[in-house]
Amino acid sequence: MDRSESNVRTLGRKTKQYAWLAAGAAALLAGCAKDAPQDTFRPAGPNARDIDTVARPVFWTALVVAVIVVVAVGYAMWKYRDRGQDIPEQTHGNPKLEIALTILPAIILAAISVPTVATVFKLDKKDDTACIINVTGQQWWWEYDYPTGKCGDVEITEPIVTSGELVLPIDTPVLLRITSRDVIHSYWIPRLNGKRDAVPGRLHTLRMQADEPGIYMGQCTEFCGLSHSRMREAAISLTMADFQTWVDNQTAEYSAPEAGSLAAIGESTYIAQCSKCHQVNGLANADGTPVLADPDQYVVSGVAPNLSKLMTRTAFAGWTFDLLTEECRDELWRAPSAEFGALYLQGVYMHSPDGVATPCFDEARLREWLRDPTAMKPMFADPTNLESTGGKYRGMPNLNLNEDQIDELIAYLLDRK
Amino acid sequence: MFTTGSKLFIGATVVSLVSTIVVGATTGGAIGMSATIGLITATVVFALVAGLNVANRDGNVTVDTPAESTGAADRGPGQSMWPMIMAVGLAGLVVGAVSKPVVFKAAVVVILAAGLEWLVQSYTSRATADAAYNKKLHQRLLHPLEFPVLGTVVIAAVVYPLSRLFLAAPKEGSLIAAIVVSVLIFVTITLIARRPGLGKGTVAGIGAVSLLALVGIGVASAVGGQRHIEVHPEITAAVCLGEASEAELEEIDHLASQQVSLGSAVAATVKITSDDRLVAFINGAPAVEYHELTVARASNVNVLFRNESSEPRRLTARLGTFAAADGTAGSENADCTTAVDPGKELIFTFRVSKPALASSTPYSLFAPGLEGQEIKLLVP
Repeated sequence: MDRSESNVRTLGRKTKQYAWLAAGAAALLAGCAKDAPQDTFRPAGPNARDIDTVARPVFWTALVVAVIVVVAVGYAMWKYRDRGQDIPEQTHGNPKLEIALTILPAIILAAISVPTVATVFKLDKKDDTACIINVTGQQWWWEYDYPTGKCGDVEITEPIVTSGELVLPIDTPVLLRITSRDVIHSYWIPRLNGKRDAVPGRLHTLRMQADEPGIYMGQCTEFCGLSHSRMREAAISLTMADFQTWVDNQTAEYSAPEAGSLAAIGESTYIAQCSKCHQVNGLANADGTPVLADPDQYVVSGVAPNLSKLMTRTAFAGWTFDLLTEECRDELWRAPSAEFGALYLQGVYMHSPDGVATPCFDEARLREWLRDPTAMKPMFADPTNLESTGGKYRGMPNLNLNEDQIDELIAYLLDRK
Repeated sequence: MFTTGSKLFIGATVVSLVSTIVVGATTGGAIGMSATIGLITATVVFALVAGLNVANRDGNVTVDTPAESTGAADRGPGQSMWPMIMAVGLAGLVVGAVSKPVVFKAAVVVILAAGLEWLVQSYTSRATADAAYNKKLHQRLLHPLEFPVLGTVVIAAVVYPLSRLFLAAPKEGSLIAAIVVSVLIFVTITLIARRPGLGKGTVAGIGAVSLLALVGIGVASAVGGQRHIEVHPEITAAVCLGEASEAELEEIDHLASQQVSLGSAVAATVKITSDDRLVAFINGAPAVEYHELTVARASNVNVLFRNESSEPRRLTARLGTFAAADGTAGSENADCTTAVDPGKELIFTFRVSKPALASSTPYSLFAPGLEGQEIKLLVP
């Protein structure tokens, strides 16, 4: 072999090594993110902190064990690789080594299990519950209902039903009672606690508590069908005073649109097009009888999001699409704790100089949704293909609204604040 | 380059691939789609197994030179029972086509199984000149398939006839039959265990005769049909609202097991106290007595009902009154538990599909006979 041929081979080998190194680095760096809203390593409440306290030492212990095992296996593979030599003498059984390799992992597991079990029991505590919120999953959104009674220092006098955003007071041990109406889902706000499955017919509890006012994002973590990846959730933590304001607003009486306004026309359009499934509390027919949604007739899960206070939320459709413009959403997400509550409580009316203008409202997105929801979020909502569900939808169908109807509905929904 | 075992799977991959293309191109509809997906899966699996076999040289680390390189076998094919079984399968196919689909499906399974066995046997019996190696190859290829299938067949051959027997015999008779069969199995196995010198053939003979007897009993029981199984009345609104007959109530209440699993996940515990008060405790909330429960719509609600009073009591949920489609007033909906004996408990599951506002009567939980006691159900 001449020198040039040898150089070419060395170069090829090095190129291969660099390629492997680059691939490894890419895989490693893929785990990095800036401002990751679902970062479980940035706990924002005592429950998540308890998990973090256990997870970190367990992680480092596991890493040390993994490195030892990988290095040992790698060394053995490299050192005794096939070079055409005879197969070495085969031996069976080494009692000392086997006993050592049994006892050592047992000691490590025992050491890890003590804080783990203690944390599991701590996370299951219920005797300090100061507020109960029922959480119900369905394809592909979360409903929250607040029973009557005390929630921290706030008295809830009539049940509140909302969706997408779990609003809770800070420094208050909240107990979520989680279930599902259709398939199995899993509720997870990584910065506030671990995950809990939502199983039809069962009720699972999960403690939730935040230290500071803010917004904490989550995601359904049990595959639940077509739009599983678009079944998001958020926890909004507010000071007790702001929470009181939120509760007061949620339980406030229905405000009918001004007669003759576009919103008033929108109310009729809403009753005709949307009220079969979506409830707006307090909405009444011309004869004064309440307009009552009956989604059990039309939707597999039996419910559709309550829209009474839609514009107090920051996103819709399983918390997938923003109601706020990108700039306003960024401003809200980055707001200091002290300013967060005031901004959040304005909803889409953030920075509205007169309470009428909506510079932060992302109208285009809601308009697009009303034009054809199935084009934005995959759902089983084709009216010609509902045999397997007895004619019921999974998700929202395309209502084939015209542009005038969409204008009217948006005007009406903007009043739901 | 190609090892003995891999050749078979490479061949199977090619056959699957060709079949996929042919079926995919010529067969439409749901059947075509299912068949194509199945064939694609088979192709991928065969290709994977073939690749693995090539990569690890049939998993044979002790022989550097594969046996087939010692020279091709030149013997003719040996005797085989599989053509006969395949013929039985084909006959079953014809019978199934004109009688019952289940016979047809079973025949397809028999044909496929016999075809596979025959194919592998033909291949492995002449794979190399070394008969011992050929036998090992045959076992290595087929035992992973044969053992689970045979195990399943034997279990089914025991379970299915027994289930037919238990369903056909009278209620008490099935209990006696179960005891007799269990004792027979136990005694036989004990006797066999105590005679370690017993030949394999004898044990296999005993097993085969027992199995045949069991299958015979199962067939006779299946032909005889099930015994009459009594249909019990269901809980209706009339039962819950106290409008059913005494006899009906007695039969329903007799059915209650009044045993609750520890794993039951309940929203609340509703209790009749020893001083005849109806109270609720919400799961997760501090242990104070509640007189109203907020209930989610269109969701099954589980409540643990505990009766600590001195009388048998049932818990009834008033689930509203709604106008009928023609506008006439409907009747009140209700659901309830069976009567729960003093000191016992039951899980009560109910579902409310409409908000409280939609009903002309209020939603509530109450116990008939306890006047003035109720728990309000709030359904937003």
